[in-house]
Amino acid sequence: MELTPHVQEKLHAGHKLTAVVEAGLVQDFIKNTRVVALIEVASTHVKQGGEQALLIFQTARVPVHSAIDLSIEQVIAVDTNLKCEIDTSSLDVDTDVLVNITSGKVRLLFEMPFSQRTNAFVSEILRAAEVVSKRRGPPPEFAWLQPYQKSSTSSQDPASPGSAPTTADTLDGLGGDAVSLGDVSVDICQNLSSTYPDPANCNTENSSVHTENERSPDLGVNRHSIATGLSPTPIAARESHIRYQMAMREDAYTDIQEFTVFVGTWNVNGRSPTVGLAEWLAVDAEPPDVYAIGFQELDLNTEAFLFNNSPKEQEWLNAVLNGIHPKTKYRKVRLVRLVGMMLIVLVQEKHLAYVRNCAIDTVGTGIMNKMGNKGAVSVRLDLHNTSICFVNAHLAAHQEELERRNEDHDCIFQRTCFHLNITSNSPPKTIKDHEHIYFLGDMNYRINPCDMNIREVASSGEFKLLLQHEQLTQQKNAKRIFHKFKEGNILFKPTFKYDVDSDEWDSSEKARQPAWCDRILWYGDSITQLEYRSHPQLQISDHKPVSAIFMAGIKVVDTRRYRRIYEEVMKKLDKLENEFLPQVTIDTTEIILEPVKFYQSQTKYLTIANTGQVPVQFEFIKKLNDVTYCKPWLSIRPYSNFITPGEKCDVSLEVLVDKQTAAQLNSGVDQLYDILVLHLEGGKDLFITITGDYERSCFGSSINALVHMNKPFRDVPVAKLIDLESKQPKELSEMPYAVPKELWYLVDHLHSHGLQVKGLFTHPGLQKEIFEIRTCLDEGVEHQVLPGSVHSVAEALLLFIEALPEPVIPYSLYQAALDATPNFSLCKEVINKLPDYHRNVFEYLMAFLKELLNHAEDNTLDANTLAHVFGSVLIRESSAVAGSSDRRNQNQAIERKKQTFVHHFLMND
Amino acid sequence: MAQRGGAQRPSGGGQGKICQFKLVLLGESAVGKSSLVLRFVKGQFHEYQESTIGAAFLTQTVCLDDTTVKFEIWDTAGQERYHSLAPMYYRGAQAAIVVYDITNQDTFGRAKTWVKELQRQASPNIVIALAGNKADLANKRMVEYEEAQTYAEENSLLFMETSAKTAMNVNDIFLAIAKKLPKSDNNARSCWMLQVITFKTGETM
Repeated sequence: MELTPHVQEKLHAGHKLTAVVEAGLVQDFIKNTRVVALIEVASTHVKQGGEQALLIFQTARVPVHSAIDLSIEQVIAVDTNLKCEIDTSSLDVDTDVLVNITSGKVRLLFEMPFSQRTNAFVSEILRAAEVVSKRRGPPPEFAWLQPYQKSSTSSQDPASPGSAPTTADTLDGLGGDAVSLGDVSVDICQNLSSTYPDPANCNTENSSVHTENERSPDLGVNRHSIATGLSPTPIAARESHIRYQMAMREDAYTDIQEFTVFVGTWNVNGRSPTVGLAEWLAVDAEPPDVYAIGFQELDLNTEAFLFNNSPKEQEWLNAVLNGIHPKTKYRKVRLVRLVGMMLIVLVQEKHLAYVRNCAIDTVGTGIMNKMGNKGAVSVRLDLHNTSICFVNAHLAAHQEELERRNEDHDCIFQRTCFHLNITSNSPPKTIKDHEHIYFLGDMNYRINPCDMNIREVASSGEFKLLLQHEQLTQQKNAKRIFHKFKEGNILFKPTFKYDVDSDEWDSSEKARQPAWCDRILWYGDSITQLEYRSHPQLQISDHKPVSAIFMAGIKVVDTRRYRRIYEEVMKKLDKLENEFLPQVTIDTTEIILEPVKFYQSQTKYLTIANTGQVPVQFEFIKKLNDVTYCKPWLSIRPYSNFITPGEKCDVSLEVLVDKQTAAQLNSGVDQLYDILVLHLEGGKDLFITITGDYERSCFGSSINALVHMNKPFRDVPVAKLIDLESKQPKELSEMPYAVPKELWYLVDHLHSHGLQVKGLFTHPGLQKEIFEIRTCLDEGVEHQVLPGSVHSVAEALLLFIEALPEPVIPYSLYQAALDATPNFSLCKEVINKLPDYHRNVFEYLMAFLKELLNHAEDNTLDANTLAHVFGSVLIRESSAVAGSSDRRNQNQAIERKKQTFVHHFLMND
Repeated sequence: MAQRGGAQRPSGGGQGKICQFKLVLLGESAVGKSSLVLRFVKGQFHEYQESTIGAAFLTQTVCLDDTTVKFEIWDTAGQERYHSLAPMYYRGAQAAIVVYDITNQDTFGRAKTWVKELQRQASPNIVIALAGNKADLANKRMVEYEEAQTYAEENSLLFMETSAKTAMNVNDIFLAIAKKLPKSDNNARSCWMLQVITFKTGETM
């Protein structure tokens, strides 16, 4: 199936299709087919080229036949929020892989085949995401996606929940912040205002809540628009789905509990902690639940700079531990230091058990973009069910180095990467992967020169005026940095630069202007800042420490509810799994045959109807210890097949008792009875019983048994037949025939009517006549006349000889007979070794054949032909040996030997 | 995390183990094998349950404290003529429920034969449960509880009287089996770790 041209047709001019795949979108345990395309806009259409987006199409037909089948369901811009993860935790590489595409609140889970194409597609998305992450300047606007968004909404019922197109930017984190103005999501919101009941809300604090409610709780797709006739298929990788479903239901089993988080930052200018830190760390009445304390310029020694080795680390850690709130006990979660940057995360002892998956990372952005005098140190952790990241940064210094600071900021976001080693296959996390992010540190942003006396205003407390010229605030408002982050109102004096051990502005020659270098920003829902302040009492550095207190809503798992929901998910999965098991109905489980006659086939039919929801692969399977799936007298066609839901398959069961199977049935070793096991792949088994009566026949009976039957075969009681076929019969006739009477009838008939018939034994008989001859022989021949033509009688004779369970030359003498062929006297020796009645039969037949040759002028037979025809039926190899391959190669030689054997007796005797 | 341990601590570092087991139901025709499964899996009961001709297959999950047990249930045909096919289903099974009807002494005798066959031919570690079904028909009881219990004890079988009709002990017998099954990787058909958060105690503050 080639999707590319159809998808191409759906694109607007100037937009290029990068990659496309067909995938199963998992919705509520079911997957439905979607076509996912990665498209790119040509660089001429936007200011900065390379903007890309994912289009998700619903399809009316699978496979897709034309562009008409496709309708756009969702448009997801590839921006910094887009994440694409492959779930590789499934042990089985044969199953589909799960591809998780998330963008803000939108989570789409796709099952894609484990293939080259999938691999290429995911690589393209990751590449596109990387391109975006490396971009500089304001975030892309994605205005070129508007036509797609319109088409995706117009095709859907605007009233149905979840029909709202989802854009990359899902409006979360917009609340009230100036950042949201001109934001991508807002643009789109306005463009689509017709579909929103109250578009005005888009720019308000409620917007995120509002749109969330608009979206269906699952995946934001209206289910009734799924094209009919496309049967959904059950999901494959169960464990991944449990994880996914549990993540989707997180709200239902977690409670938001308020935790207080203390975040502090201080550039200590290389000083040692000669003062207590309580005035910074323990000024509040109640102890915080979590402390994140960041330092910069902890150590200015070259030793620290070059070897990242500092005695100050322990000094300051001790100072922190002595300075934190005395009311309760804390435990250190992590300490991370890079040269002068150090971050310490502590939690109250009682919370430690609920802190998991801690990881740290450091990024140096100093000289050569790697030295650790500038950069960031970070700690990430999960507190209960909320992921939290603390970043302590020290950005480039100096008034004029604004762009360097911006670049350091970008670099920290790009390069910080946490490797969680809980399972080797969980992808590393970046700063942006966290629900709560606290970004603290000496950002070094200054106040731009203006017509005010900065020192005077800074001292006066008229901060609002100064903040208009503050670089960080300006850059953030311009969306250059800290996109979507928030900062509280600054109500404290600039924290830089003071004369050490005083509250006086820098009196040195350099006379640095005051600046709010030391800042704390945050990202995430359910975080409220309670305090944002500096602590000028601490005077040992040229910076003043800053701290902020946050009230953070942490998701705490309620075990009872978690368990209940987990069980619900399991139940639902079970239910689905059971519903999607292959189901068939068969029209009968008992097949009763009409009486079965030798060599006369009978066919019965079984109808298998797929009454389930999934395609069925059925197969008749072997029972334990059986070699084949049915008895040799039965053949099943097809014995294995594929049925789509609602379809049927007729299976023919043909019963044929031939020369190979007749003897077993005659002797009672086998019966016309079999239980067939019809197995549905991945599902149940059905048993089908097949029963019938076999009308025993002289065909397939042994010479030794037949010579003791002096009544028509049909008149001999079954018990006696079985007895005669046994190894040591109890009831032998006192007057056995020399040869079976049936043989005599056949030969006599040919002798009387066929000696002069041209083509005897080479001209085929009629099957119908052969059946009549068989019945006549079994029921008793009247007036010594057999029905049918001589050719039919001739064929019946050959069939009779071939159906003998023990050939005329018994299996035990088979090899001896072949070995004797070079020499007639050896052949005669073999004949002398035959059991009496077998020898009688052989000699009787040879006499008859010689008689035929006496009339060769009329019947045009020759010794070679007769020897060949009779050799192959008189001398037979037991079927157990005949199968091996090297035998088959010698087949021609063997046939020639058989012919030679008989030929001797026709010509030399 | 796991190494921290302690009563107030999360268990297993947020790992939940799922183990899959094959379970087979055996017993005389019409003792209620399919009804037990239907009750267990779907919570339903049909007064006139069709006779099973074949081996029905369903799955059901049981959540234990530390692990999740997923049963692949094979409900076999009870009619004698299908007896020879039973090994196909109990072969490789980690658990079996041998069912009899408490109102029919013959079915109890047949159940004992099944137990014997399992002990001889099934996997040596198979967990066998004996279910005296139709316990709701106590007034027609022909098999005494004590008799069956004694037999079960002698043969180290789990034993419960059950009623698919009233649901009595149905979940319980499967749960008891789930608990008794060894959860190591080499015992189950497959085991995998599920990375979800499980806390033994949720009280934190």
